[in-house]
Amino acid sequence: MPGATAVPDIEVIIEDGGGGPTPPPGGGDDGDDGKRRRPGGRPSPNRYYTGIALGIVSILMFFMALASAFLVRRGASGDWIPVHLPAVLWINTLALIASSFTLERARRSLSRLDVSGFRKLWAVTTGLGALFLIGQLVAWRQLVAQGVFMASNPASSFFYIFTAAHGVHLLGGVGALVYVLVRKFDNNRSIALPTAAEVASYYWHFMDGLWVFLLALLYLGK
Amino acid sequence: MTLGRATDLPRVSMANDDSSGANHPDTPQTGFLSRYVFSTNHKAIGLNYLWLALFSVFLGMAMSLLMRVHLVWPGVHLPLLSSFGNSPDRYAALATLHGSLMVFLVLTAAPQAGFGNYFLPLQIGAREMAFPTLNVLAFWATVASFLGMTGAFLISPQLGITLWIVSVAIFCAASLLNALNFSVTTIDLRAHGMTLPRLPLTVWAWFINAILSMLIFSILLAACVCLLSDRLLSTHFFPMLNFFSTQRAGVIANAVPTLWQRLFWFFAQAEVYVAMLPCFGLVTHLVATFSRKPVWKERLVVLALCGVGLFGFCVWGQHMFSSGMNPFSPLVFSLLASSLGLPATILLISWLGTLWNARVQLNTAMLFALGFISLFLSGGLSGIFLARHDLAAAAVSDDFIAGHFHLVMGVAATFAILGALFFWFPKMFGRRLNEPLGKLHFWITFAGVYCVFMPMHWLGLMAHSRVSPGSPLASVAAAGSAIRTFITVAILLTVFAQGLFLINFLWSLFRGEKTEECNFWRATTLEWSVPSPPPADDFGPSDPVVYRGAYEFSVPDVAEDFVPQHLAPEQVVRARQSGE
Repeated sequence: MPGATAVPDIEVIIEDGGGGPTPPPGGGDDGDDGKRRRPGGRPSPNRYYTGIALGIVSILMFFMALASAFLVRRGASGDWIPVHLPAVLWINTLALIASSFTLERARRSLSRLDVSGFRKLWAVTTGLGALFLIGQLVAWRQLVAQGVFMASNPASSFFYIFTAAHGVHLLGGVGALVYVLVRKFDNNRSIALPTAAEVASYYWHFMDGLWVFLLALLYLGK
Repeated sequence: MTLGRATDLPRVSMANDDSSGANHPDTPQTGFLSRYVFSTNHKAIGLNYLWLALFSVFLGMAMSLLMRVHLVWPGVHLPLLSSFGNSPDRYAALATLHGSLMVFLVLTAAPQAGFGNYFLPLQIGAREMAFPTLNVLAFWATVASFLGMTGAFLISPQLGITLWIVSVAIFCAASLLNALNFSVTTIDLRAHGMTLPRLPLTVWAWFINAILSMLIFSILLAACVCLLSDRLLSTHFFPMLNFFSTQRAGVIANAVPTLWQRLFWFFAQAEVYVAMLPCFGLVTHLVATFSRKPVWKERLVVLALCGVGLFGFCVWGQHMFSSGMNPFSPLVFSLLASSLGLPATILLISWLGTLWNARVQLNTAMLFALGFISLFLSGGLSGIFLARHDLAAAAVSDDFIAGHFHLVMGVAATFAILGALFFWFPKMFGRRLNEPLGKLHFWITFAGVYCVFMPMHWLGLMAHSRVSPGSPLASVAAAGSAIRTFITVAILLTVFAQGLFLINFLWSLFRGEKTEECNFWRATTLEWSVPSPPPADDFGPSDPVVYRGAYEFSVPDVAEDFVPQHLAPEQVVRARQSGE
């Protein structure tokens, strides 16, 4: 191959450099190159923030597909019998909105380095999340008692699929909250406690907002 | 060749010394299971995807062979068709399995998940994907969906359809995890100096494709969940039976099955670009490398790739011209579908501009890249007919559509995958594929696919598939029958020519010419700065640093005709002096 004689020259240059290559001239689009990698070759925690943001977009797309199907299907046939939303849903909603507040309070405690206060409020948040899920099951049981099943009509099908899909996603959120609560975060882990708490909080608030959107859709769209 | 290699010589030994260090995300593992099966290393996962795609493509090809033989000689006893009762159901199931394997496990998995997993971190200077555990999970979910799709063929049709939908849903979930991993890796794990304008076009294509996949696979997943609950829980999302029973009642019922069509085509039309986008990136990369010239209008190409991703979203209605949609919508979708021609033209002009006046190295990888351009152009031209709602009414028939999408999506993408394989084989395995055998394989395949798919367009225009025996058009049907036989003979030859590739691949894997150099093709991107095959932690103890764009070929006043991305400016000057 041509240029084979160049190898030794370049090696010498590298050794001369001593401290390694000098930083390259910036390409212009990002100034945070240095933050991207931590010493030891481990990627920066930025990836968790980016990951959750993109994951949220993807989940949003999933629910938008269902929501648009809901609107199209509602106007498309005569077999649509609206579902009377059980009253317990409003209590569940309040519990979920309250959990977002306790979550933010918990994170504020953490930023004041009050770890025990953080853990207490975080546990309350997790409890409220679990309460919401139990409440959703109660709502299902009430509907079943009224004779409204998944297979009854398109409106009930959509009610069950919306609540089930949201419930499964929220269960993942509860899992994340529990993970943050019980996991020991020491320096060897790739993710630190404040990062984990913040990432979990993004997801949780999104789930909260998504539920409010779905409830509004079910209520107004019936 | 040597510029890339120079900085790596010290690294090889250091990488070995440091391999037990806990700091590196992937310390070498022992044992077959931990090294290959459950490894979270991006290279192992990328290779696993490629193996899966290789197996699937041969399985899928065997099925197309069975179908073609059955079409022309229906009396012949065939495995998988005859043994299952030779019913139309079995033929439909075979066609579905052929399509699922080819679209999901070959065209979607190989260029993105296969080559992407292996080379995206290497090209951006990362040591791992952003979420390695999710990565290995996604791979095994893909394997599960492969087994499900194949298993669906072997069981009873009703249960088979349910299993197939479950498998597709699992594939969607795996693709979403993959897409998340790809985009986060590209955004957050780039090496020092690897700014967005310096990204290789392969990385751009993988990145844009990941964003697109993240949005469309969610839609298909939602549609699959609804369809599954219709089948298993008797819900009422897509009541096809209701539709057929109430069809005369009014236009209202008409909208019900179109709901499924809309959801499906919203995904499926964009899925075409999911398969094609990485191929655009790969081909642009190969054309520049083997023309020894920078990509012509590189930034415009990036914009064109974004344009393909964006327009790909907006053309789903193109498949529904005959579904009784609002009379104004076909016009809108026609315009949108035709506007895809703009980014496609930009890409084509860039490839030609790069090739213009170049000292082209016509090796097998480059031949496949040029073959891609030819097939993309020929297949794309018939797309213009299909994008116009008025012309589509005349041109639409099974054969025309089959000819169009096989040429532009199936075969063109396969050519890009093969080109990439010939290009990266030395990096992945430290050996190269046999060139004369590769070129023979290329020419037979190139001629073969044109002989198979061009006549299909003619068949479609003759509306052969709509002519029944005894009708006044029977003479046309007779001509069509001759063309069908010709296609089947051509496909037999083309499929058997793939045996050449298989022999070349397996032989080269163990006995191929060894490629000791790091930078075998004298290429510029970062993967060529590390040994072949790359060490477990990719870049050794020191993180790579990037100093320049990805396509600095034939730079004036430099001795070599390429300048690797990781070469500092002062190193380039010395290299010139020593060269002189």
